[in-house]
Amino acid sequence: MNEELAIILETASKIFNKHVNHDLRQFIDKENINLINLWNDIEEQGLSRIIVKEKFNGSGLPFSFILPLIKMSNNFGTPLPFSETILSNYLLSESDINPPNGIVTFATDGVDINITNNKISGNLRSIPFLNLTDKIILITEIKNIKNIILLHNTSEKLEPKKNFLAEPRFDLQIKNCEIIDIKPLNSKVDFNHLGALMRSAQMIGSMEKALDLSIDYCSQRKQFGRTLSKFQAIQHQISEMAVELSASSAALSAVGNIDETNNNIQDIAILKIRAGIAAGKIIAISHQVHGAIGFTQEYELAYFTRNLNSWRNDFGNENFWETLLGKKFLENSNQNLWEYLTY
Amino acid sequence: MSKFTFPSIKETNDLSSLRLEVRGFISECINNNEFVPAADSWVFAADPEFSRKLGSKGWLGMSFPKQYGGNERTALERYVVTEELLASGAPVAAHWIADRQSGSQILRYGTEKQKSSIIPKISSGECFFAIGMSEPDSGSDLASVKTKATKTATGWNLEGRKIWSTGAHLCNYMIVLARTGPPSEKNRHEGLSQFLVDLSLPNVNIKGIPDMTGQRHFNETLFDNVQLSEDALLGEEGKGWSQVVGELALERSGPERFLSHFTLLDRFINEFRNKLLKSGSNIIGKLIAELQTLRRMSFSIASMLQNGESPETQAAFVKELGNKFEKTMIETLREFSNIIPLYEWPNQLQNLFEDATLRIPSNSLRGGTTEIMKGIIARQLGLR
Repeated sequence: MNEELAIILETASKIFNKHVNHDLRQFIDKENINLINLWNDIEEQGLSRIIVKEKFNGSGLPFSFILPLIKMSNNFGTPLPFSETILSNYLLSESDINPPNGIVTFATDGVDINITNNKISGNLRSIPFLNLTDKIILITEIKNIKNIILLHNTSEKLEPKKNFLAEPRFDLQIKNCEIIDIKPLNSKVDFNHLGALMRSAQMIGSMEKALDLSIDYCSQRKQFGRTLSKFQAIQHQISEMAVELSASSAALSAVGNIDETNNNIQDIAILKIRAGIAAGKIIAISHQVHGAIGFTQEYELAYFTRNLNSWRNDFGNENFWETLLGKKFLENSNQNLWEYLTY
Repeated sequence: MSKFTFPSIKETNDLSSLRLEVRGFISECINNNEFVPAADSWVFAADPEFSRKLGSKGWLGMSFPKQYGGNERTALERYVVTEELLASGAPVAAHWIADRQSGSQILRYGTEKQKSSIIPKISSGECFFAIGMSEPDSGSDLASVKTKATKTATGWNLEGRKIWSTGAHLCNYMIVLARTGPPSEKNRHEGLSQFLVDLSLPNVNIKGIPDMTGQRHFNETLFDNVQLSEDALLGEEGKGWSQVVGELALERSGPERFLSHFTLLDRFINEFRNKLLKSGSNIIGKLIAELQTLRRMSFSIASMLQNGESPETQAAFVKELGNKFEKTMIETLREFSNIIPLYEWPNQLQNLFEDATLRIPSNSLRGGTTEIMKGIIARQLGLR
């Protein structure tokens, strides 16, 4: 592993180790002082700006560095929009807007968007963690050109959506809201593709945790006079989790640096499909081997599986990407499957 | 979990041109009617003539040292060649086991004499190997083998029987796992040894066993007091178990664990491309995602082998996932016959599909069952 990346990951793991625990996740709110402390440490170490350009006080490191970092943050179950901020800051920086300090989130989609006199109105859909920040980015098309808008939310009335009881998420109606900055979007990869990539890395971190929790639990819990881990029926189920996880991790490591490959869409599609399939199996098996305790609030497994439920539906589910991938291949009738796979 | 990673390995331009060279050769062979693409060709389609042709191209024993007639190419180059052969359904069964595992096993553990007499013939496609592991009473429980080798004045006396030895009737040698001493109380893996057995020796009797598809590749091989010379012992006496474990990593990690029926999928798509575009893009997309991931994992293992690592556990991941993929793939095509009934499929495609359907139960048995793979993984996870 790259030395610089190793140092970043070590710094990050120290911070997550120090702050993140199951109690912290119970109260995801601006008033939670522990959450504020966690964010301050993250920001102080520059972790939210590692792929932001140096002229905007970022580290200007390669894009690929954020994937293991995001994976790690969700392996710890960090209840903050860490990946949302990293992605938003990246798109701002690439589009020549100085990312603001603090947490930044994004609107997954915008409907009936109207911009006049540097004010924006419309409906913003599915905004993660809007209870923790008032800075939102929106990618929207204006006269056939994709723009990135950084806006400042002033609405106080925020009602979170259900979202599988996972991380808080909001819809927002805005009226004449102040635009902090607007620029044509400059990104080699589509926002939705980046979102799918980010969510996949998050899922893999969480799936690793679900597997580790399952192994630990089954190695301690005794029934019929022996630990669950000694039952072959349990061993085989947990092996299946490991197989699914290893396939997803292999798909993640294939994506690598989005700046270097021209095959990004195929790689990201494969990753989101593979991680989505794995998540379905890992949610089911981890709960099955945990029994009733895994189904409670007090035990931490459910925090991870609720997030998996949410993320596997974000930025296109398996079927969406399977259709896209299949179409892209089938439409080019000059290429047979083997030529396509080995291209 | 982080210890079972599959680092991403990119295919270099050199590898891609080797790929195209092999592809060109294969399409020439198909155009000259030298072979008809077959399903599961690495088990069912043996053609010694084709194997010799590959040998003369330098595509067998690719990674073996030049002094033994090898080509000193990398495990990644070998990976690319085997992928191309499998994807086209080429008749590679005759040499498959010798090239995949027996040659490496001899190079790793063999004596100078064993190496110099056998390896060059493997590389030229003139010496074929069968696997001598399973017995009538020992399948998944390999350590329970009863075939026995006893020391004599001139070498060894081999007594016992091996079963499911694919292609043994066409092979020159079998690497036989036999008991040379009792298991210790603590370790039943002790007292096993590997032997290089010349199948033309007196008292070796090979009987075919037709499989459920009506084909002959299975055999039962009887060793009725076969007299082996001293140098038939492969590696160290009593170290057979650890030797065999390394051999299994070569056996389980390759692309034959997910490309056995690729030629069926390829033809299916060529035949029904427009129909699929209308109503089946997603099912093809899903198969692409699974298959491409498997290719990356297997390629990653080839690079671990190249670096001298022992990816036995990773091999179990690939085998388990690959077996599942092939079963799902065939099931997916079957469900598509909802849209176009089977009887309207072109004859050749229908035959390939039926062959695949009949042969598929064996994919999660050969080379270690699903249950054994899951057991290996569970052990590495600390559950056993």
